[in-house]
Amino acid sequence: MTSTLTPGAPQTAGAPQTAGAPSAGEGAEPTAGQVARRRWRASRGVVAVVLALVVIAVILAALRPESSWQNLDPQSASPGGSRALAEILRQRGTPVAVSRSAGDAAERATATSVTVITRSERLTDSDIDRLRRIPGDLVLVAPSRRVLTGLAPGVQVASSSFEDTDAPDCTLQAAVLAGNVDFGQSDTYEVPPGATACYRVEGLPRLVQVRLDGARTVTVLGSSRPFTNEYLDDEGNAALAMNLAGARASVVWLIPDLPDPGSASGDRTLGDLVPFGVKLFFLQLVLAVVAVAVWRARRLGPVVAEALPVVVRSAETVEGRARLYRAHHARDRAADALRAGARDRLVPLLGLPRSAAQDPNAAREIVTAVAQRVRAAGAGAPPGAAQTGTFSTGPDGRLLYDEATIGAALYGPEPADDAGLVWLSDVLDDLERQVRQS
Amino acid sequence: MALTGRLGLLALLGAVVPIVWPSWWTLAALWGVLLAAVALDLALAGNVRALRLHREGDTSVRLGGTARVSLIVENTGRRRVRGVLRDVWPPSAAAGPRTVRLDVPAGERRRVETTLVPTRRGDRQSVTVTIRSRGPLGLAARQLSRRAPWTVRVLPAFPSRRHLPGKLAKLRELTGQQVALIRGQGTEFDSLREYVDGDDVRSIDWRATARRRDVVVRTWRPERDRRIYLVLDTGRTSAGRVGDIPRLDCSMDAALLLGALASRAGDRVDLLAYDRRVRARVEGASRTDLLPAMVRAMAPLEPELIESDAAGMVSTLMSRVRQRCLVVLLTELNAAAIEEGLLPLLPRLTARHLVMVAAVADPRVEEMAAARGDLAAVYDAAAAERARAERRRLTAELRGYGVEVVDAPPAEIAPALADAYLALKAAGRL
Repeated sequence: MTSTLTPGAPQTAGAPQTAGAPSAGEGAEPTAGQVARRRWRASRGVVAVVLALVVIAVILAALRPESSWQNLDPQSASPGGSRALAEILRQRGTPVAVSRSAGDAAERATATSVTVITRSERLTDSDIDRLRRIPGDLVLVAPSRRVLTGLAPGVQVASSSFEDTDAPDCTLQAAVLAGNVDFGQSDTYEVPPGATACYRVEGLPRLVQVRLDGARTVTVLGSSRPFTNEYLDDEGNAALAMNLAGARASVVWLIPDLPDPGSASGDRTLGDLVPFGVKLFFLQLVLAVVAVAVWRARRLGPVVAEALPVVVRSAETVEGRARLYRAHHARDRAADALRAGARDRLVPLLGLPRSAAQDPNAAREIVTAVAQRVRAAGAGAPPGAAQTGTFSTGPDGRLLYDEATIGAALYGPEPADDAGLVWLSDVLDDLERQVRQS
Repeated sequence: MALTGRLGLLALLGAVVPIVWPSWWTLAALWGVLLAAVALDLALAGNVRALRLHREGDTSVRLGGTARVSLIVENTGRRRVRGVLRDVWPPSAAAGPRTVRLDVPAGERRRVETTLVPTRRGDRQSVTVTIRSRGPLGLAARQLSRRAPWTVRVLPAFPSRRHLPGKLAKLRELTGQQVALIRGQGTEFDSLREYVDGDDVRSIDWRATARRRDVVVRTWRPERDRRIYLVLDTGRTSAGRVGDIPRLDCSMDAALLLGALASRAGDRVDLLAYDRRVRARVEGASRTDLLPAMVRAMAPLEPELIESDAAGMVSTLMSRVRQRCLVVLLTELNAAAIEEGLLPLLPRLTARHLVMVAAVADPRVEEMAAARGDLAAVYDAAAAERARAERRRLTAELRGYGVEVVDAPPAEIAPALADAYLALKAAGRL
């Protein structure tokens, strides 16, 4: 296989050399590699910034606590749900009422109930107001800052911790009984004086109990993990959750639905919410853009118009004629032109007067003369090679024409088809070359 | 008046202020300060009207060359003028640099250099000079455009001047060949010298021989002080582009070479550019002044898109030259233009003058005629063959009237025309 390809080998070997030569030259077109390197140098800063942004986004997304709409739902059996806890509470004789709105929870709450408030980020300000007035104890599971300030006065989010297990280290009965608890990621709090603080990390507690009006207690838990199905059986999680939620006669479990759009605080538009200073900031930005536009819009001097020269290619008429010939398949005219041109060039070679070229009476003479010269050129060709309308190949590989073919080429009728015209042009070229060489 | 980017930047930075003091008054105060600063800047900026502009530098440049034009800015005002200046030229003058920093203290002058690399032949006129004078704070500027007229004439490139030494050598050979013992119409008596073997006995001057002991022959040389009239056709056929340059430019190049050669040969050369009226004329220029005069006359010529008026051209020519001369007509062998325009008038012209027609052939036609391979190429070849046949026919027809025809592609037309002239000169036909 390879041996049959060897004739082509020098060509392929030569190709890289010729292709490589221009690239070696000074000031030549840059190679693809050079272009790529230049573009890389120009854009690597942007690429680095984009990559850094992607990495940061991925890290943030990974660190963000996973949250699903089912989390802490006492009717959900998913890992993040709290059905297990609710079932255990019911089995232990503590009824659990599930509320989906703050109003409903406020109605159900009694002086002997514990209201567990989960997913508190969904509560609106008016909900928080209403919850502040309900009787009984409150347990806030991983509350938002708004809820914290509204319902547990004096308790503030201090930081967050990732330490899992810890001893309670406090006097709160529920915590002491539960012992070690797995918190996972948890908020830590700053506590007011007089509050009970448990499970400290670096001095900041993750469980806080505040006493309000003497009798009511508000318990704040920094992590929702002890309440979830998945982690309920870890360490003392179940005990802590049951001690906190089941401390009284009944449980009202508030897991608020998302508030209806616009239901919260009515008809405040975006404009009302944006501070006046920010509006002025944007107005000033617009004015600054106008100032920049005025700066850029002012030209340094006029635009200069100039009459441009006419650009007409001189060969346009000839090219147009060629296209017309082609569009109309004007083989007759094209063949006439080619033949006349060939005769014009042949006649001086044959030693005939120039006027003979376009003289129909000289046709015979020209054809005979051409045939003689062609035969002389193809010396050694058998005279019998002359066949009507065809031509054969001489011993040296060149085409041999008989008089009839030469006559047809120089004076014949219009070619029957396009292939005939192309053939005619080739034959005329060949005749001319052979006559020149003879 | 013009603002600067600095004002925009300040306005942008000022956007922070209303966040700190959210009030309409803040915004009003901010803009009050900014506008006051702008007004102050405008008031204190140097006066552009008090600047005097002068120019000096090149007034002509060969196409492809570089011209330098200086602008001298003189500050006659009382304040320093600081800012930017733009010397505005037409695009084809390719002037650079586009803008220049300007700093002229009161009572002083500064020179601003502009470099032109024109891309086309003709006159390039400075459009205007725009000056933006910045205030001391750099927030606003006064801007004004002032006229500072200057014209740079872009002359034909004359690329065929490299052929001139070769042709001059040929010419010297010709005039040194005074042994041209044949007496012709365009030869004149040169000298008497002794007979040497091989001289034509017919050229023996018997009267001189009788006075001396030796046999003396007369020698002749090509006649000097013949008149050559170059006629540039600037009509529509001269607008067509051969390669990438208009046919007119090729013709000019050939005319310049011939003019340079003929003036060295001692002939008088005149130039006429004509389409429907006289576009340019050089007559009676001295030998040393001929080439500059021709180049200056040719520089602003542009092809006109109108049919040339051959009758007008011939009558202009006939009225200008009485004595016999060589009329070199630089035109195109266009069947319609020649047959309807020139041919009927030729007998009148050839009766009195020797006429030579120089035409620039388009290499594209040759390329098309040689095209083979597919059908489109063969039709191209047929069309080109027909165009060539037409050209040959016209050439033959013109020769029938005794007209010399030079038909060559753009790269060869100038030397070919020079050769034709030298051949005529050698044959003593001028």
